[in-house]
Amino acid sequence: MSAMLDALVGNKVEIVTNDGRVVVGILKGLDQVVNVVLANTEERVFTPEGVDRQALGLYLIRGDNVAVIGAVDENTELGMDFSTIKAQQLPPIVHD
Amino acid sequence: MLPLSLLKTAVNHPMLVELKNGETYNGHLVNCDNWMNLQLREVICTSRDGDHFWRMNECYVRGSTIKYLRIPDEVIDMVKEENTARMKAAKNRNRDQNNRNNRGGGRGGNRGGGRGGNRGGGRGGGRGGYNNQR
Repeated sequence: MSAMLDALVGNKVEIVTNDGRVVVGILKGLDQVVNVVLANTEERVFTPEGVDRQALGLYLIRGDNVAVIGAVDENTELGMDFSTIKAQQLPPIVHD
Repeated sequence: MLPLSLLKTAVNHPMLVELKNGETYNGHLVNCDNWMNLQLREVICTSRDGDHFWRMNECYVRGSTIKYLRIPDEVIDMVKEENTARMKAAKNRNRDQNNRNNRGGGRGGNRGGGRGGNRGGGRGGGRGGYNNQR
């Protein structure tokens, strides 16, 4: 199953974690339980006032906390104007 | 590369661990295992809301409670070197073990005129064994 994700290694990916955080970085590696290594990580905090980006370096995210991994298209991203993006923060995952 | 091998390489480096309950632990990694359990030294624990702090000499963190770890950037460059060093060490260990096994005339079959003249262990002293000499 992680053959799907192995294809993304080396690419820029966006990860949504269970607490509703969005982090973007270069996927350096992962394992069977989807623990993830991200390099040059950046957290994007969305608020109704705008987007905040924080550089975070090397991240090891435990697989339990990964909700979504998506491939980022670099070209589309370069064309994005973050100063105009406003959004609500994602709520954390709740198991009912 | 594998996340757990990155962690193994990060031993002795400082890192930040955030737990699922929001607490953060800042300290140097002493040891880790396949379940991501960690032993840290010189640790500063910060509560979820950021206004309570504890300092401890050592602590043990169970892997299942971890949300993520922030590791210094230089560690990722060290992983490749560490892998080649580990493979060399393993190869040397295998070679030493094999050499020890081959002493005393190989494996039971070459003594006392076994096959066509290999007596006395003159030639083929290293036969009957598997040498990893590459």
